[in-house]
Amino acid sequence: MGKLWVIFVALISILLPFLCNSFSPETPTDRRVLVLLDDFAIKSSHSLYFNSLKSRGFELDFKLADDPNIALQRYGQYLYDALILFCPSVERFGGSVDLAGILSFVDSGHDLIIAADANASDLIREVATECGVDFDEDPSAMVIDHTSYAVSETEGDHTLIAGDGFIKSDVILGSKKINAPVLFKGIGHSLNPANNLVLKVLSASPAAYSANPKSKLSTPPSLTGSAISLVSVVQARNNARILITGSISMFSNRFFRSGVQKAGSPTKHEKSGNEQFSTEISKWVFHERGHLKAVNVKHHKVGETEEPALYRINDDLEYSVEIYEWSGTSWEPYVADDVQVQFYMMSPYVLKTLSNNKKGLYSTSFKVPDVYGVFQFKVEYQKLGYTSLSLSKQIPVRPYRHNEYERFIPAAYPYYGAAFSMMAGFFIFSFVHLYSK
Amino acid sequence: MARSLAGFLVFSLFVSICGAASLFQPISESHRSAALELFTPDHGSFKSLEETYEALRTFEVLGIEKKPDLTASACRSISETLGSPSSTPKDLFYALKANSIAKCRINEKTSEGIITKLNAAVSGASSLLDFYYSVGGLVLIKDQTSKADVHLADAEGVFRSVKAFSQSDGRWRYSSNNPESSAFAAGIALETLAGIVSLASSEIDQSLINTLKNDISKLFDSIEKYDDGALYFDDKLVDGREYQGPLSTTSSVVRGLTAFAAVTAGSLNLPGDKILGLAKFFLGIEAPGDAKDFFNQIDSLACLENNRQEFLLVRVNTVLGSSAPPLTVKLVGAYSSGSKDKSLVESQELKFEAGTGVHILNNLPKTIDVGSYTFVFEIVLHESEHEKIYVTGSQTKVPIFVTGLIKIENAEIVLDNDLGNVEAQKKLDLAGQNAVSLSAKHLQKLRLSFQLTTPRGRAFKPHQALLKLRHESKIEHIFVVGNPGKQFEIVLVKYLLFHRLSTFLDFLQLVDKFFYLSGRYDIELTVGDAVMENSLLQAIGHVELDLPEPPEKAPRPPAQPVDPYSRYGPKAEIEHIFRAPDKRPPKELSLAFLGLTILPLLGFLVGEKSGT
Repeated sequence: MGKLWVIFVALISILLPFLCNSFSPETPTDRRVLVLLDDFAIKSSHSLYFNSLKSRGFELDFKLADDPNIALQRYGQYLYDALILFCPSVERFGGSVDLAGILSFVDSGHDLIIAADANASDLIREVATECGVDFDEDPSAMVIDHTSYAVSETEGDHTLIAGDGFIKSDVILGSKKINAPVLFKGIGHSLNPANNLVLKVLSASPAAYSANPKSKLSTPPSLTGSAISLVSVVQARNNARILITGSISMFSNRFFRSGVQKAGSPTKHEKSGNEQFSTEISKWVFHERGHLKAVNVKHHKVGETEEPALYRINDDLEYSVEIYEWSGTSWEPYVADDVQVQFYMMSPYVLKTLSNNKKGLYSTSFKVPDVYGVFQFKVEYQKLGYTSLSLSKQIPVRPYRHNEYERFIPAAYPYYGAAFSMMAGFFIFSFVHLYSK
Repeated sequence: MARSLAGFLVFSLFVSICGAASLFQPISESHRSAALELFTPDHGSFKSLEETYEALRTFEVLGIEKKPDLTASACRSISETLGSPSSTPKDLFYALKANSIAKCRINEKTSEGIITKLNAAVSGASSLLDFYYSVGGLVLIKDQTSKADVHLADAEGVFRSVKAFSQSDGRWRYSSNNPESSAFAAGIALETLAGIVSLASSEIDQSLINTLKNDISKLFDSIEKYDDGALYFDDKLVDGREYQGPLSTTSSVVRGLTAFAAVTAGSLNLPGDKILGLAKFFLGIEAPGDAKDFFNQIDSLACLENNRQEFLLVRVNTVLGSSAPPLTVKLVGAYSSGSKDKSLVESQELKFEAGTGVHILNNLPKTIDVGSYTFVFEIVLHESEHEKIYVTGSQTKVPIFVTGLIKIENAEIVLDNDLGNVEAQKKLDLAGQNAVSLSAKHLQKLRLSFQLTTPRGRAFKPHQALLKLRHESKIEHIFVVGNPGKQFEIVLVKYLLFHRLSTFLDFLQLVDKFFYLSGRYDIELTVGDAVMENSLLQAIGHVELDLPEPPEKAPRPPAQPVDPYSRYGPKAEIEHIFRAPDKRPPKELSLAFLGLTILPLLGFLVGEKSGT
């Protein structure tokens, strides 16, 4: 009974982060998204994007960014699971929403999409900075690229960029390759090198730079080359996901429908990659992909099935865990060959890659080290684009008891022999000495 | 565009411009890459000299840098053909044509031999093609050698004998015994005649030229027309062998016309819309998939372009795209984006072409060079009652970018020592590959300079001219190329970049900026502008910098972002190393010693026994 209780507590402690998460596995389609807009024209000019979200089951709540009635939480409960900020020029949010409110919204595991443009306000820039990316500080700067711009009849200043520097990650951008370049027109940002949670999803070409296209360049631009990120994502430690882009128009119907031809390339794509890109990345941001869960963490001695309360040094043990990935509708077995378990006390004593049976069950076996103390089974799984798994389970390891060593050692036979022959000799000598006349 | 217009029915202007540059704007990057795909030599050379010429000419027109091995292999086959005694005038003609671009050296003797050979061919020629090749060859060799005595002895006689092939409808026959005439042959004949005129030692009779001009206008009567206003020449399919297809036929006529127009003094009276229609035809084809067609298209466009026909097409329609009522479009002014006050053109009306519904402005003023401009148009409705129905913007401003190929010349990288003497000087080919390797100390100066000129010969300052130095540790330093005060040298801009590593102050600043990091720096140059068609990003090479040791309080280089791909991934496995078991003697040894320990007891027992 006690053991069951321990298992229950352990399972709860493992599952608790998931239960508290914004992600609700039971009803993933029932997600409420707050969309803050500069004006309602964006609702119609970006309707293809919003419709694709709606068709996937999201409830979109459109509000003006300066609407005095907007609120993210009421009575300590969040009203929404995700927030879309399509309001680049807002100086102050209405209602109770402010910078701190948005940050605590993210800190509690909710998702965020930020789209800025050339006249992004300080508020939007601050939100982005808090998320680990810095938009170009020059308010008139735009990303310009004279070598990989999109050929266009109406625009000649090369600020309409055909971006194809995608991150190599199937989980973020979907397994289907995005063939057509993505149209981008807006401001660039750079990643904070100290922040290792933020990833460049779409980076600019090496010849790009961020400057004001209308004025002469006298000082070196602050952002140049592939260091410019056009679209970035953040996956926080609590698995909240953030998408940041400097171009709100990349989600617009115009860019979704427009054809694209990259300068210098003979192929003219009928349709730009924007729709595929935005849809796929929104699937990732809203946890329809790349979300892992681990269940049934088990360990026991080889040949047994019961989980012991403690191990003795040099025991052989087996460890297993089941990992599943959310596919948008159901939990599918997760297959990878880089899940590792650590047997850990202050530092890992054993680090072993788990083998899987392609049905989500990962297992391995190893010998308990000959060091005693309080160990942990630790799975710290981090993979590009996936939520991180962090499991740990404490287990004490004891040394041999005194009766668990071997009883007679051959090397000690001469000593045994010497002692006993001495005793026998003394006994015989005494006997002979006493009774011989 | 046309954002300033308001009202319930608004006109919008669609403007396309045939560039004032060496190219039409519609010929763009896609053409360049298509050209590179189509003209790929087999094992370094083309099958024939004709193909070589077509490839070289296309590359030249499109501003694609020739690969040096291509030119070298072309030169080899050119000199073979020119030197061989068995080459026909046709071979010589194409060899010389290829040479006009490849610019290989022909020795004096060979050229003399060719001249006599071609002169003999001219006098012995009986068909149009014979004349074409031999006369064409003579014209080409005249341009390529220093000898000025290349001329036709009886130019007028030859002219007349070529003229004899012409037909009354403006088409030409290939030979006197072949009754079929074609427009393709007309183009060839015109080119030949132009060659004869240029080779003539005395003036050709003006009446001959005038009849020829009449022939040309007759030829234009047979021009065919597409619905969209594109004009082309085509021959009726009479003989499969000689039928060339509309593209080559039109191309041949255009070549002939431009050659002829170049040598005759009086202008050809060709209406501008005809030329425009031809240009439209070539542009309408986009990029052909066949090398020959591609060449024909590009060459003809280049010919038309040399004729300095530049157009501004304005289409006026309602917001829903239906065609507009009769109206006049006026160009009120054109302003360069920099200066708003002075108009570059005087106000003029655009010609309306009824067939296509396009308003045309011929001959953009020479003041319009590459750059971005704002053109201001005014729309005047012809009938006053229409003014109640339509609303026009009083003045419509249309931003226009005139793009062109910018010539990059005199690129060099110079390393000065601390006394200002040149230590190393390397020429750079900014359109090709560079691999400069330099090594410098902190007391030296590095100077990179190059000149940019627009197709109209003016100095050009690009928006983006950045030099990037990247240290091994991925730390980048960016410099804007172009030093005010030093950059204007009479006409051309010279961009200078000084790494002032010489003066004490600058040395400290720059060394500080470089974080005292010695080692290899890769040099990368980016030159680009919205109106520059050949924007480039070039790795120039690298420089080994030897900088002094950092002082104690030197700034640390900033942290560089970690590559996301390397951050994740499995870690190396850790196996626990178990304590090795104690070393023990073999069991036999223990048993032997056990025996030894028992031995004294046995000895005692034996002694005891024997004692009693």
